[in-house]
Amino acid sequence: MAGTGKAHLRDPERTLLRAEDLVVEFPIGSTGAKVHAVSGISIDLVEGETLGLVGESGCGKSTTGKAIMAIPKPTSGSIKLDQVELTSLDDEALRRTRPVLQMIFQDPISALNPRRTVRDIIAEPLVVWWEEEEGRPATSVLFERYGRLFQRVAAIITKPLRYLMPLAFAALVLWILSEAVEQRAWEGALGWTQLPAQIIGFPVLAALVAIGAVLLAMGLLWLGLAFIVPFGVVSKVLGNVSPAVGLGAAAFATATSVFMVWRTWNSFAGRPAWVLRFHLIAIAAIVVIWFVSSLLKPSRAGASGIAAALLAVVVLQAFYLAGLDGVPKLGVFVLSAVIDVVLFRLVRKQAALRADELRARAEPKVREMLETVGINPDTALDRKPYEFSGGQAQRLSIARALILDPKVIICDEPVSALDVSVQAQILNLLEEMKARYGLTLVFIAHDLAVVKNVSDRVAVMYLGKICEVARPDELFANPAHPYSQLLLSAIPHPDPLIEAHVTQVAADLPSPVDPPSGCRFRTRCPLAQERCASEEPEIREVAPEQFVACHFPLVGEAAQ
Amino acid sequence: MTDTNGDTPDDHAPVLVVKNLTTTFATPRGPLTAVDDVSFTLRRGTALGIVGESGSGKSVTARSIMRLLPKSNVTTSGEVSINGIDMMALSPKELRAMWGPEVAMVFQDPLGSLNPVMRIGDQVAEGLRIHHKVSRKEARATALQLLRSVGIPSPQTRLDEYPHQLSGGMRQRVVIAIALSCGPKLLIADEPTTALDVTVQAQILDLLSDQQSERHMPLVLITHDLGVVAGRTQEVIVMYAGRIMERARTPVLFRDMKMPYTEALFRSIPKVEYPSHTKLAIIPGRPPTMVEPIRGCRFAPRCRYAQPRCLEEEPELTPAVDRDHVYRCFYPVGTPEGEQALEINRSNGRLTPEGELTGVS
Repeated sequence: MAGTGKAHLRDPERTLLRAEDLVVEFPIGSTGAKVHAVSGISIDLVEGETLGLVGESGCGKSTTGKAIMAIPKPTSGSIKLDQVELTSLDDEALRRTRPVLQMIFQDPISALNPRRTVRDIIAEPLVVWWEEEEGRPATSVLFERYGRLFQRVAAIITKPLRYLMPLAFAALVLWILSEAVEQRAWEGALGWTQLPAQIIGFPVLAALVAIGAVLLAMGLLWLGLAFIVPFGVVSKVLGNVSPAVGLGAAAFATATSVFMVWRTWNSFAGRPAWVLRFHLIAIAAIVVIWFVSSLLKPSRAGASGIAAALLAVVVLQAFYLAGLDGVPKLGVFVLSAVIDVVLFRLVRKQAALRADELRARAEPKVREMLETVGINPDTALDRKPYEFSGGQAQRLSIARALILDPKVIICDEPVSALDVSVQAQILNLLEEMKARYGLTLVFIAHDLAVVKNVSDRVAVMYLGKICEVARPDELFANPAHPYSQLLLSAIPHPDPLIEAHVTQVAADLPSPVDPPSGCRFRTRCPLAQERCASEEPEIREVAPEQFVACHFPLVGEAAQ
Repeated sequence: MTDTNGDTPDDHAPVLVVKNLTTTFATPRGPLTAVDDVSFTLRRGTALGIVGESGSGKSVTARSIMRLLPKSNVTTSGEVSINGIDMMALSPKELRAMWGPEVAMVFQDPLGSLNPVMRIGDQVAEGLRIHHKVSRKEARATALQLLRSVGIPSPQTRLDEYPHQLSGGMRQRVVIAIALSCGPKLLIADEPTTALDVTVQAQILDLLSDQQSERHMPLVLITHDLGVVAGRTQEVIVMYAGRIMERARTPVLFRDMKMPYTEALFRSIPKVEYPSHTKLAIIPGRPPTMVEPIRGCRFAPRCRYAQPRCLEEEPELTPAVDRDHVYRCFYPVGTPEGEQALEINRSNGRLTPEGELTGVS
């Protein structure tokens, strides 16, 4: 089954959505093995058409649907929407296609944010795109960006502290030790003056030195780790450094660190200077190392550079504060922090007001959408998703998908989680919406009866390949592929007179990590011949508008 | 699992007797009666299907029979006896002795009902070790046999694998193997195939039917899909809003359904025979919440046949021509009364000319 080939594709001029040779592979860890989820699938849709994608779990139908949305981007192949190649778009350009290409998911409850009201959920796509069109308040953009940056800085700042703490502790112990040795403090303090210092003093001193040495070793180990860990990161990502943004900031941070060390080096004269100097050198070294390493992480280069610089400045300020007369300086510091917080709050308030305004403007449209999908907006607007039944929640998902007036909707098993009676409601609703808004649908499902009901064309998939593409009536009357026949025989019939037993389904799906050679269905196929193992069948037309990838199709001149 | 046939089974003695079973949940909005006065019996060797929408009380019925519902906030009344043992009178310890050797259950979500950190072999053997007090080695051998009998390929290696290493269908087979491990005298399967693919569903249902006939074990198959019960049960109960709406032998039900609700369920199934883009018949509206007391027939607001009388007075379970066939309706499908009711509804605008209900959403 494996059919590769594009005999079933139509004139590219006529198609709205066209995927060719779509391949999606997922690497398994670092073993080099790959899951061949989708292996060269070609499908196309004419405007206003519904394509049913049907197959068992693991056949790649959902992966195909997601690959069309580029979540994630396919490993290779081309997807053309309205003649625009989606695979070559960058992230932002791709995001801009989203209003045209929408998706409805299988589990409606988990597809809706449980903490937001229906009003917000349905309005959200509109609010996002209206903001895009009209631009957002500059201050809120600024603060959102820097708010995120501050969060990151806070996270990063704690990291060097983890390295510093044991080191500082070890140094502190050594300092106390050296003071103690100098002043022979234990003699008076412990009341051992009567005993000869040579007898009692020596073991105590030795023990203290030993403890100090261990602590120092620990500190050095930590420092070593601080060196090694970031360099491991560096070597891993060295391939894609973006130096332009970071190097300037690197220079700034290094300069600040050096300045800081130089200024404070002299201000501690008179105290046991080596301890403090050791501290300072350590801090400066760590700041520089950590900064350079964070700089080399490609996606965060700029932010981390600024964060490093900020940290250097903060540390410097702290040293100044400690060195100077405390209370007024501290006052200034606290005041500036308070002003920051107030300012930030104000700007956030402004952004929230703006979002509220957009939501209020979207409300008539939201109401209209809810009414269209058969939900009473007066009772529903202020409720949350969990207050709805599965069928109603699926209606909400449909409303959310439709509010941007898309052209294509990918429905990924939209009725599989629903009861039979509710399923009928949703299927009818989708048909109604399709007629009303001129939608083009990709309908993914494992239930053939459901697929038949909604589709204009059905593609049967197996293990990442297409088996058969045909109009549903033909497919169901005369399945050409043995796998289509197997699927058909598995449908439960609501009629006790029809024998429910299915033949030849005992075998499980082969692993997509190592799919069978030739036709992928051959391991479960009752008609398999030697040729099926050696040669992969191409898709060909066996009857008008019926395409099949099989060496021995059940329909057409070769039928046995 | 060896002494199941110790005493001569009397084929007509009921294995499961449920009488006036009522289960009520205490909710913030008031008592919610999920199962309301349900009575039925199940004979040895038969498979019974219980069909209904979500919220019809079919799963709660199963859990009430098993006594799996929590004690707090739930009150269950009525009689449930399995092979003559009164389930309602049992202490928790006695119940534990029942679960497994006497009655076992298969749940909807196979991944959720397996322990993710326990090897499959150990999970299958656990019941045997506890109930039959067999040695570890023997239990493992029996587990291997069980896995083989439920159609798991290379069971020897599967014994030492974990649930996440199996596909959905294989997991459900393991769950069935666990349920069968102590040779239960009654098996309850609560939507065993709802989470599965069509092909896998067919396999699992075949497996259940095979095991059922092989072990001469009565089976209760709970589902929302009439297609599932059609070929695989001898008797069907249709439930709605906690009540039994219709009960009949399977062929009779499908040939001669009397209850408008059964008909509505049947009509809403997309059928392969229909041409594509056929508008499906739906059941408009939603089941009642069952917190407020309901007057009249519970299905009346969504019923195509409903008449003023249906809103006032609840019909009793009425016997039909066939023995064992009962239904709860004043205007049954396919009778002169029913046709007349449809005619009246058509003329007063409650139904569209095509026969669909208007004004309910």
